[in-house]
Amino acid sequence: MNRILITGMGIVSALGNSVGETLQSLRENRSGIASLRYLKTAHTEFPVGEVKMTDGEMTALLNIPENVPTTRTALMGMLAVREALASAGLAFSIDRRGQLQSIMQSKESPLRIALVSGTTVGGMDKSERFYLDFLENDTKNAYISTHDCGACTEKIADYFDIFSQVDTVSTSCSSAANAILLGAELLKNDRADIVVAGGSECITKFHLNGFNTLMILDKAMCRPFDATRAGLNLGEGAAYVVMQRGRDVLNTSEPKPLCELSGYANTCDAFHQTASSPDGEGAYLAMKCALENAGLQPADIDYINAHGTGTQNNDMSEGRAIMRLFGHKIPPVSSTKAFTGHTTSASGGVEAVISILALQHDFIPINLNFSEKMAELPFTPYIKMENSDRVQKSVRTVLSNSFGFGGNDTSLIFSKTL
Amino acid sequence: MNSIYINSIKHISAQKPLSDEWFDEPVQNSENYVRATDPDFKQYFAPNTARRLGKILKRALLVSQAAMKNDDVSQPDAIITGTGLGCIENTELFLDKMVREGEELLNPTQFMQSTHNTVSSLVAIEAKCHNYNMTYSHKGISFECALQDAFLQMQSGKIQNALVGAHDEMTPAYFTLLKKVGYLGQSNQTFAGESAVAMMLSNRKAKNTFCKIDAIEKVYNGFGLPVKPAMTYTGIDFVMVGTNGVAENDNIYFENCVRLFPNVPLLQYKHIFGESYTAPAFGVYAAALCLKNGKIPGFLFAEKGADCKLASAKILCYNQFEGKNHTFILLSNV
Repeated sequence: MNRILITGMGIVSALGNSVGETLQSLRENRSGIASLRYLKTAHTEFPVGEVKMTDGEMTALLNIPENVPTTRTALMGMLAVREALASAGLAFSIDRRGQLQSIMQSKESPLRIALVSGTTVGGMDKSERFYLDFLENDTKNAYISTHDCGACTEKIADYFDIFSQVDTVSTSCSSAANAILLGAELLKNDRADIVVAGGSECITKFHLNGFNTLMILDKAMCRPFDATRAGLNLGEGAAYVVMQRGRDVLNTSEPKPLCELSGYANTCDAFHQTASSPDGEGAYLAMKCALENAGLQPADIDYINAHGTGTQNNDMSEGRAIMRLFGHKIPPVSSTKAFTGHTTSASGGVEAVISILALQHDFIPINLNFSEKMAELPFTPYIKMENSDRVQKSVRTVLSNSFGFGGNDTSLIFSKTL
Repeated sequence: MNSIYINSIKHISAQKPLSDEWFDEPVQNSENYVRATDPDFKQYFAPNTARRLGKILKRALLVSQAAMKNDDVSQPDAIITGTGLGCIENTELFLDKMVREGEELLNPTQFMQSTHNTVSSLVAIEAKCHNYNMTYSHKGISFECALQDAFLQMQSGKIQNALVGAHDEMTPAYFTLLKKVGYLGQSNQTFAGESAVAMMLSNRKAKNTFCKIDAIEKVYNGFGLPVKPAMTYTGIDFVMVGTNGVAENDNIYFENCVRLFPNVPLLQYKHIFGESYTAPAFGVYAAALCLKNGKIPGFLFAEKGADCKLASAKILCYNQFEGKNHTFILLSNV
């Protein structure tokens, strides 16, 4: 049994601070995008999907002393990993290290637990705030060492003190999806017994301004796959899944797997550093190779959780790729970015959790803010709302897309465990 | 289990660019911060390409293309990059202007070239390569994260070859910051350097093959317990370590090597190539070149020795970062 099972998950995003709150927001079609509240920036004209907590509130929730230098990305990551480990039935708390020890030593050799985390912004929230201090005085030196991506992963790892391997993926907006992909390879190649994989990214002035210079931010609510779409809304969050080999899980009664990661692929559009090709070659190949990797046909997919940022370029390119691969039988497609905002490096994790919720509860999250069909595409995104948001047929297999700068395209396929 | 060979390695560093000459005549550096010696990029790129790209990108593209060409590969099955800081020069330019001058009139090109995966993407765009494309950024083990990914996929037969890169640039301002936190520029420390290393890995042995990669292992040990590699390494002839003249760093190597690999002679490379987050790629390069040439130059021995001829040999590259991350890469001659 070389299957990769998902046995736990955790999330913080604009939709809420847990899997339960996320599900509720999705079910009630309630977006987490609102006016800026936490980030200090001149660009208050852009709506954003912020996590509704200050750094201090997160620090308190995690029982971290106030004088410990932390970054928002690391704090969100800790919260999501904590929930993921708990939902997988794994002891995790530093306070309960005794219990952790007993679990880790219950086998002949200790369990090898790997943390694979995706981020690009890393500790930029503090670097941009203390940039002049770094250069001119010594008051904020502790934050120099929290700047890089790896520092964020290690902050998370050290909070739990259970990880024997750490890796940080940084492929911009596909980072978390690629972290899950690497996690599967670590398990298949017997490099770890348990993998916690996903990503975390806070909104910073740095990339809000960066996206603004690229003129791809919408001052209104984003409208993925809509003819009137005019850009994305930035979001932030963290989401992680716990992954284990099927043969390890099925021999024990706990934990009960949430689903299977049945396929995955990463490809490169090889077209432009920040724009997608008009025919969506990279996206097409990622979806096609993920299906091959899973041994599935396009007809097996019940729902596509699209990357769907709401930019002119992405939705056209991704839409064409979907059209090319699925032909006349396109399954329900929705982008959940109008719920969460574009959580950039975390989006692959956030949307993995949403995809798994769709499988668990047999529902398809709607594509919010849709009103006008794109003339260039043969399909409209899923907006079914009559009576109930439940679909008639069971949702057995979900394809989730995450595309990053540089044409870094990753597709993950989640399936119900039978 | 498929064999994995290193078939070509190209670098830009403190040594002569794109050359193995350092093996016989290393350039000595006495400054504490040394920028890489760039080749004349105009010879390789169109003028507008050279202008458009930041330092790290020009270097990475050039060494990647050279490494691929040297192994007759035009589109590798995977392009995998390790970088500790990514495109820090452009990040700094964008950040500096934003902090000092406000959030208007910022430069989109600087932002576009600021993300870590710009390097892997650029190589793919230039090679029109749609295959697997990945970037790892994890402090002093970024290169090993990339190598591990390539190794696992090649070992299982998922891919047949991979371009693995290790790229970091160091700006004067960032050097100052990292000096403040004790990572670079300390007294007695080898110089802070820059790295641009590209390696072609292949399942197929070629006429230029440097060596075989037999194993790679990463251990995270956030709380400083004694390091215990899961793999058992036997018959190791030399251990290539990342000593850099700072006692706190070097002692971790000495203590762990005495315990794990007693009586095995130590080699070092950072006095030649400098310290950087992706410096461990130079450790692998130096060890690989020793295996290819059948010789270890005396200046690589941690305890200075004479040149040493090699017949059949195994060199283990051991890197540790801040005593928390430990990596082991086992190389053998072919």
